[in-house]
Amino acid sequence: MAGWSSLTPGSVLDCVETNDAYQKNGSCIGSDIDVRDGVECDEDDDEVRLRCTFDQVLSVFVKEIGDRGVVRPIPAVIDDRQPVDLFKLFCLVRDRGGYDWVSKNSLWSFVAKELGLDGGATASVKLIYFKYLNELEKWFRESCKSRSSGNGQSGLYGEFQLSSELEREFRDLLLDGPEQKGKGDGPVQFESDENGKIEFNLSDTKDAYGMHAGADQCKDDDEEKVCNDDQNGVLISLDSLNKKENDRKRKRESLSGMLNWVVQIAKQPNDPSIGVIPGPTNWREHKGDECWFQVIRAREALLLRRNVDSKTEESLLQKKLKTHPLLYEDNVVAGHQSSERLRCSERFPNSVKSRSCPCCSSCSVPQSNLISPRKKELDNNSKEQAPEEVDLLATNTMVCPSVDAPHEKHVSVGTLFQADVPEWTGVASESDIKWLGTRVWPLQCEEDSSLHEADLTGKGRPDLCGCQLPGSVVCIRFHIAEARMKLKRELGSLFYRWRFDRMGEEVSLQWTAEEEKRFKDLVKSNSPSFWNRASRWFRKKTRENLVSYYFNVFLVQSRSYQNRVTPKNIDSDDDETEFGSFSNGFRHDAVEVSANFEACSQNQQCTDLD
Amino acid sequence: MESESGASLPSGPDAKKRRVTYFYEPTVGDYYYGQGHPMKPHRIRMAHNLIVHYGLHRRMEINRPFPAGPNDIRRFHSDDYVDFLASVSPETLAESSYSRHLKRFNVGEDCPVFDGLFGFCQASAGGSIGAAVKLNRQDADIALNWAGGLHHAKKSEASGFCYVNDIVLGILELLKVHKRVLYVDIDVHHGDGVEEAFYTTDRVMTVSFHKFGDFFPGTGHIKDVGAGTGKNYALNVPLNDGMDDESFRGLFRPILQKVMEMYQPDAVVLQCGADSLSGDRLGCFNLSVKGHADCLRFLRSFNVPLMVLGGGGYTIRNVARCWCYETAVAVGVEPDNKLPYNEYYEYFGPDYTLHIPPSNMENLNSPKEMEAIRNTLLDQLSRIPHTPSVPFQTTPPTTQVPEEAEENMEERPKPRIWDGADYDSDPEEDKHWTKFSNPVGQHAVKTEMRDDADGMEDEKPNHPPCC
Repeated sequence: MAGWSSLTPGSVLDCVETNDAYQKNGSCIGSDIDVRDGVECDEDDDEVRLRCTFDQVLSVFVKEIGDRGVVRPIPAVIDDRQPVDLFKLFCLVRDRGGYDWVSKNSLWSFVAKELGLDGGATASVKLIYFKYLNELEKWFRESCKSRSSGNGQSGLYGEFQLSSELEREFRDLLLDGPEQKGKGDGPVQFESDENGKIEFNLSDTKDAYGMHAGADQCKDDDEEKVCNDDQNGVLISLDSLNKKENDRKRKRESLSGMLNWVVQIAKQPNDPSIGVIPGPTNWREHKGDECWFQVIRAREALLLRRNVDSKTEESLLQKKLKTHPLLYEDNVVAGHQSSERLRCSERFPNSVKSRSCPCCSSCSVPQSNLISPRKKELDNNSKEQAPEEVDLLATNTMVCPSVDAPHEKHVSVGTLFQADVPEWTGVASESDIKWLGTRVWPLQCEEDSSLHEADLTGKGRPDLCGCQLPGSVVCIRFHIAEARMKLKRELGSLFYRWRFDRMGEEVSLQWTAEEEKRFKDLVKSNSPSFWNRASRWFRKKTRENLVSYYFNVFLVQSRSYQNRVTPKNIDSDDDETEFGSFSNGFRHDAVEVSANFEACSQNQQCTDLD
Repeated sequence: MESESGASLPSGPDAKKRRVTYFYEPTVGDYYYGQGHPMKPHRIRMAHNLIVHYGLHRRMEINRPFPAGPNDIRRFHSDDYVDFLASVSPETLAESSYSRHLKRFNVGEDCPVFDGLFGFCQASAGGSIGAAVKLNRQDADIALNWAGGLHHAKKSEASGFCYVNDIVLGILELLKVHKRVLYVDIDVHHGDGVEEAFYTTDRVMTVSFHKFGDFFPGTGHIKDVGAGTGKNYALNVPLNDGMDDESFRGLFRPILQKVMEMYQPDAVVLQCGADSLSGDRLGCFNLSVKGHADCLRFLRSFNVPLMVLGGGGYTIRNVARCWCYETAVAVGVEPDNKLPYNEYYEYFGPDYTLHIPPSNMENLNSPKEMEAIRNTLLDQLSRIPHTPSVPFQTTPPTTQVPEEAEENMEERPKPRIWDGADYDSDPEEDKHWTKFSNPVGQHAVKTEMRDDADGMEDEKPNHPPCC
């Protein structure tokens, strides 16, 4: 049940589902697919991996001794507050010659300092080392011994087995230190330059404060998994949830271009717009972020996820034969049927096969909360009913996943983080009155005039209007103009100070028809560097003018179009969608409302569009 | 009805009328985070536009905020971070003196450097500090700043579209006069910046309702309860997708009821992030505008000085709807559902209504789960000492809101202490106003004034009897 060497029954299914979900739901929040600026993390991959290994071994150890009634809470804390980075402590002591040596030479205070603790914590650090790590070492050595001396599967350590890979890794860590580990077997990581934007960070758990709520159940090495803690399966796809990625608030849509491109190929493989994909020999040098290159990297990453084996020295390019032929043949040929088959045959066996992958599996063990009492309980239960383990977990955690969910991140404590809150003295201190700002309402000179329509406070629009075509663009523009007049009367100069004169379609009056058209064309061109180009196109307009036009005119008009043509599909918030718009601008017919009353402008537009 | 929700404080039954101040910076809508960025300050302008077209401004005092200077911002933020924010611009971004700081301050992707970045921060922070000062001076019972509520910003780090934490600055200002301040956050994201800033103090209690689990920013675990003297003074309510009005209310009301009882804050700050609304571009809850505003309605009923701030909200038409409606709740008016004609009318099509129907998405929060959460938190609350260190009676008499419901804001003595040194006033324009003025007096109006917001309490069903 400690189980990265055992296969959970659901894993095959999970993989399939995940793929589906992944493709359908391109925008699933990018815990896995990260967009990052060009700055490369220079974390030492080896260290990250070792940390994974360490955490796994530690969790097995803690579970094991827990079964014997010895409680070692994780994370280890000093003074009830300060968590201790056991991995770091372990490395520090190992590098200084081990527990005995450090004790003999009174190096503990030094170790404590290295850990970022003050001198007072020295004894605690030593105690922590003794209670956790010294025992861990002992336990591990015994464990190895008992295993090498024959049937290591049974006996003393029961369920708690370390996979051989893991054992080897840890032995290396224990005895030799990280220096001797080869570089080549580090985690697989893709990172593209500048805005290229895909990154598959397979095993970076450096900052992984743990997976999401379901992490407890993520066992085994099965690569992508749907954690079952909430019934509909929150997608925890790729493993890496490093801190950086957690830091993203925006939903990522950077892959949509690539996915669209793939869809396009699927539909029309011979379409010239797909472009030419260079031969594989040129990939290595390739730096761009064209769709095909993203696809290749995505594909490689997905494959590698299934094949990750830290012992494999295969580089990305050596795996090229597994990629879709369409993607690396210099001449694009329609061949997706055969390739589809290829893809399936490749993926499924891999996901069925149980692999011991320290990197992947360790990621499923939340570092900060390796073993909670609750989890132990679950583990015990499921030991007795192993076959139903997944279901059991699902039902058990359903009771309250939020309460018992693992921590993803902890709150930092220290002067660098908290505000400086003074003690309450009982005496109120004065505030600077500058903060009251400028009172603009009620108007100071004409106080009573402001209330002449107060009985209408909260009133909406009237039910009916006398317009010929109620609800038409022209009708609405007329009423808006009316409302503005009324408002101007009430607010006076405040109308301008609140910048009502710069709100709404009237902004377009400062634009020539030609400028407006150019602006619309530019937006429709859907260029990512739109604003840079725009300022080049409109030398007389400031950036503020452009933004103002965008929100006050352009969006209003495209929304107006949507309301009448595609009322089921409205969107004012995605700058990247294509906008339709009525061609006749606001200009004259709006200001002189009654002048030319277009019969039904929207109908014209409909036919124009279709 | 009122007695049920708001009578726990000595100020007695809910006094109907509140003096409301609203801070609005007219240039705020022109700030632009960049193409494709979901955060759009334009929504604040849209909200203001709706507020004015509904005539809600007539029930408020409206101020243009004084921009917070670097020194004011340093009351919370670190020096080097403020220096960076105050001087960086898209043009200087590439210079090594700036570029090497980008990563350290987490400026770049989610929090880009845009034109006027610091001006935006100044307006947002100035409004929230101003709101705090208004409450401190007892000039107002409720102070609104929709440009505020940027709750992710950390002491030396931008985060989640937030650069300067106006909330922390506002609360620090409130703490000058008020012993205890309660912060309540109903943004779909955890209010991590504010929680962290006050994690170790009992003078501020933070309560955040948020989506938790594989969601930005990752903090807000129910077991994060504060540290040191602040232990148990941070409350986190982790929720799942599809949270609807009823479920939300079933947690919000009992928890806040108990918080008000146990903690007895002298002032309350409510962050009204509108990304917890149904159909938000980044959020995943299913609240209606009314359900969202119910939080404000409930807190308002306690008669404690109340600061109301904006926050997230990425489907901008709904943000404007929500904040407009909440302004109406603050001033005690129930606005018509049919939107008045306004410059941004088309944004609200095809229905052109104030309220939005919730979607039919599944609510993944099971009643069982919510009960567990509620019990855990009520248990945590029972562990704090009743009114920490100072008995409630000694707090400043800010809670004694005038009971004369019909009082007109214009009749109250207005504090005009400052010398009129406005940074952007134009007396000429004010004179010019006379020609538009209407001679109708206010008498007819006074009796007409409705106070529906409180009447609406009727609809309130009995909430779970857990406190």
